[in-house]
Amino acid sequence: MVPGLLALALVLGVVAAALAGLALAAGPSLPVVPWGYVGGVVAFSLWQALVSTILSLALGAGLALALARRTRFAGRTLLIAAMNLATVLPAIVVVFGVVTVFGRAGWLGEGMRALGFDMGSWLYGLPGILIAHVFFNAPLAARVFLAGLAAVPAEHWRLAAQLGMGPLAVFRFIDRPVLLREAPGLAGLVFLLCFTSFAVVLALGGGPRAATLEVSIYEALRFDVDFGRAGVLAALQIVLGLVLVLPILRLGTRAAEAAATGFVEARPDVEAVLPKVLDALVLALGTGLVLPPLAAVALSGARALATLAQPEVLASLATSVVVAIPAGALSVALALAFAGLTRRLRIARARPRAADAVSLAGLVILVMPPFTLAAGLFVVLRLVADPFALGLPLLALVNALMALPLVLRQVEPPLMLSAERYGHLAESLGIVGTDRLRLVDAPLLRRPVIVAFAAATALSLGDLGVAAFFGSGEFVTLPVLLHQRLGAYRMDEAASVALLLALLAFAFFILAQHFSGDGRAGDR
Amino acid sequence: MLEIADLAIDYPEFSAHYDLLVPKGALCALIGPSGGGKTTLLHAVAGFGRPPRGTLRFEGVDLTRLKPAERPLSILFQEHNLFPHLTAAQNVGLGLDPGLRLAAAQRAAVDAALARVGLAGLAERLPAQLSGGQRQRVALARALVRNRPLILLDEPFGGLDPGLRLEMIGLVDQLRRERRLTVLMSIHTPEDAADVADLMAFVAEGKVIATDTPAKLLAGARHPALDRYFRRAPLGA
Repeated sequence: MVPGLLALALVLGVVAAALAGLALAAGPSLPVVPWGYVGGVVAFSLWQALVSTILSLALGAGLALALARRTRFAGRTLLIAAMNLATVLPAIVVVFGVVTVFGRAGWLGEGMRALGFDMGSWLYGLPGILIAHVFFNAPLAARVFLAGLAAVPAEHWRLAAQLGMGPLAVFRFIDRPVLLREAPGLAGLVFLLCFTSFAVVLALGGGPRAATLEVSIYEALRFDVDFGRAGVLAALQIVLGLVLVLPILRLGTRAAEAAATGFVEARPDVEAVLPKVLDALVLALGTGLVLPPLAAVALSGARALATLAQPEVLASLATSVVVAIPAGALSVALALAFAGLTRRLRIARARPRAADAVSLAGLVILVMPPFTLAAGLFVVLRLVADPFALGLPLLALVNALMALPLVLRQVEPPLMLSAERYGHLAESLGIVGTDRLRLVDAPLLRRPVIVAFAAATALSLGDLGVAAFFGSGEFVTLPVLLHQRLGAYRMDEAASVALLLALLAFAFFILAQHFSGDGRAGDR
Repeated sequence: MLEIADLAIDYPEFSAHYDLLVPKGALCALIGPSGGGKTTLLHAVAGFGRPPRGTLRFEGVDLTRLKPAERPLSILFQEHNLFPHLTAAQNVGLGLDPGLRLAAAQRAAVDAALARVGLAGLAERLPAQLSGGQRQRVALARALVRNRPLILLDEPFGGLDPGLRLEMIGLVDQLRRERRLTVLMSIHTPEDAADVADLMAFVAEGKVIATDTPAKLLAGARHPALDRYFRRAPLGA
């Protein structure tokens, strides 16, 4: 109970301190807010998120259906691997890949120029933002949909075959209910991710007409040092975010499960012509969107490998690791304390409302703009210490908090499962405290904790956001270095850093996959 | 003597009110329809869930103030009695020390208990390597090493086939005679307990509706819920 209350106090304290710091810095007078500008930013944030969500879910559903129907074709495994990788790639690496493929000086631009067309800088603004968002989120949606389709009982397929259902009937009675069941939660999640998108919009957006709230807060703090405006923007983001997040929490989004690789029962609609044509189109589109940017990161990076040996790259790698690993560990520790507290409230004390409130406190971070946290803490810490000296711990702390919702989603279910199965037994035998953690919970928790640690560390490693805020100062993380090099059009040097980041993200993904494979292995 | 008097428990969707007396050393079987409140009664005695109001005493000691682990009893569930990652011996050892820090004498006690329930030589097996009946024997062995005077069993043998079920009930009966244990056991199949139980209590709608010897309860006691349970024609019909 005590660790949980401490974790709760830490999270709420940091959030409160950050908000207080921002208010303090803004001064007593109400900030002068350029409402026209702010309205434009809000409208663009919502609009691009809406379009990104629709496109991502549509392509994701198409890909899931195509992969479910076509269980063997050349390159299927490669496509699934590429889709998995796309969902875990740091945003700034995606930006690099997208620019390299679709940019004016990229593969597409050069190709068109060879044919006599100049594409111009079409990519910057809404098109580039949409491409990058769909690149991440369509594979994410496809994984969730595919997992849902794979869970359809074999009897349903046998029944469909027995009843002689055509492809439309199969879609209507079997596929569509699955897609509709998964769509609301998924749409909420993708919308929120795009609404709060930072790195993609910072790198590919342009000016106030293509900025999200997150980017505007960054600009207000970083370039204009206007704490008042940042505070207003942050408040807007928090309010809009809560309005968006609360219904999602009710829906209870499921974590994306690993895509099933094979379907036991043959679907009766694989031979029909219409699905064949549709699937071919969708697979071509998906492959065309997902593979080239990944290939660009790999190829350009491999060509520029020599530039990796520069001292600044090595220093950034060290900085990133020094920040990310403690951030991952802290996030897991906080999540365990949180989940332990909610479990106790929910089960032992039978106080589900209180437990929900604590869970919600852990998730509020989802809508909290990271710069607001960083800037507020910066202002508060300035009163007691040199904030730049505290930069690394501060960065690790904010990254740990940002990863908290993700980690909570991993560790809460097994802790609850352990309590449901063995809670009474442990109570009746008097197994409490660390004994309970060691003997009762640990076997069910070990895998989820490793998965969560890998995910949180990878998130922190790839995070451009908060690191960019402190950016140019003493320490530069890998994503910041990549962003600087992209901004300076030093593409070769950017390429090697992008590849390094992609490989790191992939390594953590493999680690997580390895341990998440069969979460029930310790349970027989 | 286990005294349950005026014991009331309120859940939003279910409320119960129990009266039951079980003499020391007796085996009392709880029978009745699913959802009738057998498990709620056992859990209240064991100390799980909402704290009840009313009298709950064993050998004169008020149980309601004690935490589950402090109560003078051991409980067996239908499943999940064993931790799957611990061996049979370790699972029994938990009854002696909840942190599994066992002295040599305690290890010997674990081996003796396993031998008593017929599992000599299987101490190092994991639960997955044991049959359903053997797993419940391990849980019984743990109850033996805990050496508490009251044993609660919540449908402990419901997952076993009939022959094995009788054998296990026979083992419980032997053990309680050896150690003068008081036993409160819920069971789906009243006829299995008819020969060994001293008392049988019919629980339905959150109440103990009738308590008697098995012979009388199974043959004679008349109550609409009891008639429904046994699919008997009501008196006078």
